[in-house]
Amino acid sequence: MELDGTEKRLQTLFRELKLADERIAPDFKGVWNRAQAPSSGPSRLFNISLAVATALVVLTLSSLVLWSQTWRESQPFNSGLAAGPARIDLLPPPPSAMPGLIHPGVVEPANRARSNRGNRKVVARRHPNLNARNADVRKADSISKWQSPTATLLQSPADNVLTSLPQLDRSVTELKTFLPNTPSYQNRER
Amino acid sequence: MDITELKGELERLHGPSFGWALSCCRRDRADAEEVLQTVYLKILEGKARYRGESNLKTWLFAVIRKTAITEQRKRLLRVLKSKASSNSTAERTSFAAEPAAAFERSEVRERFQRALECLPARQREVLHLVFYEDLSLREAADVMGVSIGSARQHYERGKRHLRVSLNREELDYGIRWDRKETPDAVS
Repeated sequence: MELDGTEKRLQTLFRELKLADERIAPDFKGVWNRAQAPSSGPSRLFNISLAVATALVVLTLSSLVLWSQTWRESQPFNSGLAAGPARIDLLPPPPSAMPGLIHPGVVEPANRARSNRGNRKVVARRHPNLNARNADVRKADSISKWQSPTATLLQSPADNVLTSLPQLDRSVTELKTFLPNTPSYQNRER
Repeated sequence: MDITELKGELERLHGPSFGWALSCCRRDRADAEEVLQTVYLKILEGKARYRGESNLKTWLFAVIRKTAITEQRKRLLRVLKSKASSNSTAERTSFAAEPAAAFERSEVRERFQRALECLPARQREVLHLVFYEDLSLREAADVMGVSIGSARQHYERGKRHLRVSLNREELDYGIRWDRKETPDAVS
C-alpha cells in the first residue's frame, strides 16, 4: 500500500498514539480473570434458580395429579351411583334431591360451600358430559322413588298376612298364629 | 478453535484490541476496559463465537465495536435515569482525565487526539482501523459492517476533515498538509 504525504503523517501520529495507548493498556490476565469471575457467578445463580423453578413445577404438577386422582375416587359417591340399594320411600323425594336446590335445614360452612362450588366448576370444566350424566342419574332416582297418589287406598290391615308367607313344615297350630283373630297374632302385632 | 488457543490469540491481540476499544469509547480508558472485559465474557460464555469465516482480528474488532455501541447506549440510559447524574459525571470525568494527563507530555498528540474526536464516528473508525491497526480498507469495512465503497468514502472524507482541523489547530508537523496527494493510494 503506497501512502501519500498526508497518510504518512497520519500514520506517524497514529503510531505515537498507539505507543501511548500500549503504555496505559491493562494487563490481559487481569481483564481475562475479571471476565471469568462474573461469568461463573451468574451461571451458578442461574443454575440454582433453574433448579428451584423446576422443583416448584414438579411439585405443582404432582399435587395436581394427586388431587385429580382423589377427586375421581370420590366422584361416584358424590353422584350417588354406588350409594347402595335404592330405598323405596313412600314420601316424595326431599327437595334437596332436586338439582340446584339446597335443603333448608342443613347449613353448610361457608368455606366448604365455596370450595364445593369451586370444585363443581372445575369438574364441569374438565368433564363436559358429567352434568348430563348427573341429570340422568337424578331423573332415574326420582322415577324409582315415584309413588302413585292412590297407593294409600290400597293399604289394608291385612297387608302383613299378604306380604308374609307361612312356612310349610310347621304345624297347623303354628299356622294359626298368622290368622288375624287368634291371640298369638295379636301378640305379634304388639 | 478451542478456548486455550483462542485465549492465546486474544492475548496476542490484547494491545490492539484495547486501542480499538479506546477509539470506540471516545478515548475513555475505564469504558474501554469495561468493554474489553465484556467482550472476553461474551467469548467465555459462547455468546460471541469465532467460526473461522473471517480473520480473527476482524471478527474480534467487530465484536468490540458492537459491544462498545451497546455499552454506550446502556450508559446513556443509566445517565438519563439517574437523578444524581452530576456526581457520577464528576467521577467519570476524573477517570477520563487519567489518559489525558498522560498525553500532556505531548502537545502534538493531544491536539491530534482532539481533532480525531471532532470527526464523525464512521470516519474516525475507518482512519483508526487503517492507520492504527494496519488493516486494509476491505478489512475495515468488514469490521464496521459496511461495504468497501462506503468505507473508502468515509476514509477519504475523514482524511480531509482531519487535515482541515489539524491545519486549523496550526500544528507544526514539519510538513505542509496541503501537499499534493496520490489518489487511490489505499487499496
